[in-house]
Amino acid sequence: MTEQEKKRKCAELVSKSKEVIRETFRRFNPIDTAITWTGGKDSTTNLWIIRQVCTEDNIDLPKVMTIDEGDAFPEITDFLIKTSKKWNIDLQWLCNFDVLKNAMSHLGNTVKVKDLNKRNQAELERIGSKEDSFTFEAESQQGNHLMKTVMFNQFVEENNIKAMFMALRRDEQTARKSDEYFTKKEGGYLMPEHTRISATLHFTERDIWNTTKLYNIPYCSLYEIGYRSLGARTTSNPGEVGVPAWEQNIENVPERAGRRQDKEKAMERMRQLGYM
Amino acid sequence: MKNIILLTIDALRKDALGCYGNKDGLTPFIDSLKGECIRFTKGQATGPYTQASFPGILTSSYYLEYGKPKGLSPHRTLISEPLKRAGIATAAFHSNPYLCDFLGWNRAWDFFYDSMEDEVSPQMPYIKGNVMNAKVTKWLSSYSMTGDSKPFFLWLHYMDIHEPYTPEKKYVDMVDPSIAISQDEMYIMFENTLLKRDVSSSEKVTLLKKLYDVHVREVDIYVQDFFRTLEKLGILKNSIVIITNDHGDEFNEHGGLSHDDKMYSELIDMPLIIYGRDNNGTCDTLVSNIDIAPTIVYLFGLDPVENFEGHSLLPLAAYHEEGCFGEAMDQKAQRGGDIEKDSYFYREKDLKIICHACIDKWELYDLKQDPNEVNNIIDTSPAAERLRGKLKPRIRRWLS
Repeated sequence: MTEQEKKRKCAELVSKSKEVIRETFRRFNPIDTAITWTGGKDSTTNLWIIRQVCTEDNIDLPKVMTIDEGDAFPEITDFLIKTSKKWNIDLQWLCNFDVLKNAMSHLGNTVKVKDLNKRNQAELERIGSKEDSFTFEAESQQGNHLMKTVMFNQFVEENNIKAMFMALRRDEQTARKSDEYFTKKEGGYLMPEHTRISATLHFTERDIWNTTKLYNIPYCSLYEIGYRSLGARTTSNPGEVGVPAWEQNIENVPERAGRRQDKEKAMERMRQLGYM
Repeated sequence: MKNIILLTIDALRKDALGCYGNKDGLTPFIDSLKGECIRFTKGQATGPYTQASFPGILTSSYYLEYGKPKGLSPHRTLISEPLKRAGIATAAFHSNPYLCDFLGWNRAWDFFYDSMEDEVSPQMPYIKGNVMNAKVTKWLSSYSMTGDSKPFFLWLHYMDIHEPYTPEKKYVDMVDPSIAISQDEMYIMFENTLLKRDVSSSEKVTLLKKLYDVHVREVDIYVQDFFRTLEKLGILKNSIVIITNDHGDEFNEHGGLSHDDKMYSELIDMPLIIYGRDNNGTCDTLVSNIDIAPTIVYLFGLDPVENFEGHSLLPLAAYHEEGCFGEAMDQKAQRGGDIEKDSYFYREKDLKIICHACIDKWELYDLKQDPNEVNNIIDTSPAAERLRGKLKPRIRRWLS
């Protein structure tokens, strides 16, 4: 692709995202929406595009939140602080302090379920976790649920959010191939009803890098030293160490090859089916 | 050219089907396909559990031949690959974690649903057949709307028969209304009896088998609904449907439950039905699940795939009966046990030889005289030496 073609493609992709964002603001009052921001390349690009729309249409930027799962890369935390200052964003930091407190903020520590607050206990019951303790590891099934899913749901509830901006991409996992821009999440026990919007669905990993570079969108330094995907610190591994993400074999090597979370999901199912 | 649909049913014992001799009427719909299908009476899986058997079904190769299994080896050819190259649309729908995205089974499929992103409950740790049908229907509807004239290959896998055996009351009542235990109590039986492989109470084992039968009845209904949908969408007349299992389940035939690394008939016998072709009837040739992928390739009019170790079952007259092999590992070994405990079998006509490699234990059964495999004739059969010779080269030992 020539530089001209690249520029044109990025502009088209961004333009498509803006359409989705504008459609969101038509369906929902901007005050009833919020944006998730992990500090990763996808959600930062997503936030950047939403900011543009808000500036162009003279709308106040919706609330922006980030979830500290208790195992963050300091580089990501720094990036979030620096960029939210630069963009003048009052970033809401969420954290399941009850779990963190009981784990004494230490990964690998055992958390006793009976020491947790009622909500956390109910949430563990909801996902079928029967054990009376678990190891505090951010990408374990219980850890992930309490540190991430529960905080997400609580935020939506407490702020009466009707629509959440996410930054998923179709090419991340084959299960996402037919995902749509707007996904309604039905309400249920401990799960607030809301709609999720991923304005970045049509971007590929390569597109995100082209766009980031073209428009000088800030990104975390970890991508420069080889990380392609950034989750919890202990379970994210770089792709090719020392090679910037955008220079790696993006088209042929899976992005999430370093993420333990997908393995954990599969293993949990195997346990439930009587294996192990 | 017709579409091909591969319908695999997890843990379905061959002898649970009426058309294979079951007298309890658990599969009226599948049985009704008689007269419109070819039914293979002597099919063999290549392994006694999903991980061991599916390489046979979808890659026409054996479980342990590429070393200690970690995910789908890049050396194997997955059925989606040659089909994709030929411009055939491919879609997969299942909810078995051993065949998930993360383990590499999503390779080359146009559409791959493995349910790992969806929430399941401990009592039903998979996606129910009716929900699977809805997802497939959505894909089929949008496919038929594209007006695409090229055929598709669809793989649909039902998990409903797989333990924990917690069927709903409405299905229980179809099989045995006298069963009055709640789903919670069924789950407790799963935890206390099945998981512990406790066969001490024959009443409990009988009850577990009853619950299993209820799930078989349930799946027959999902298969019926699926066929109805195909008919409604005008797709059935243009499709060939292959129905089979990956393995069976044990109910104390050999001292155990569920599906561990044993090579007996209750686990290895495979039902295999090909619906939608012109020739019908039964075929008594000994066939293996490694022959399924080559058959699909043949039916799409493509050249045989070099990596596929099986042979197309069709045309029937051209199929050459060979012996069948299978292999498995002690699953505890896969959890980091001390010793690699691998097992193998070889079947030729009605003789089956089994080897538990790490303890050098051999068994030989004459399946005609001794279909229940209780009389080990390894020391007395004149065929023992020859069959040992056939199986020995397959024994894949490796150092950790």
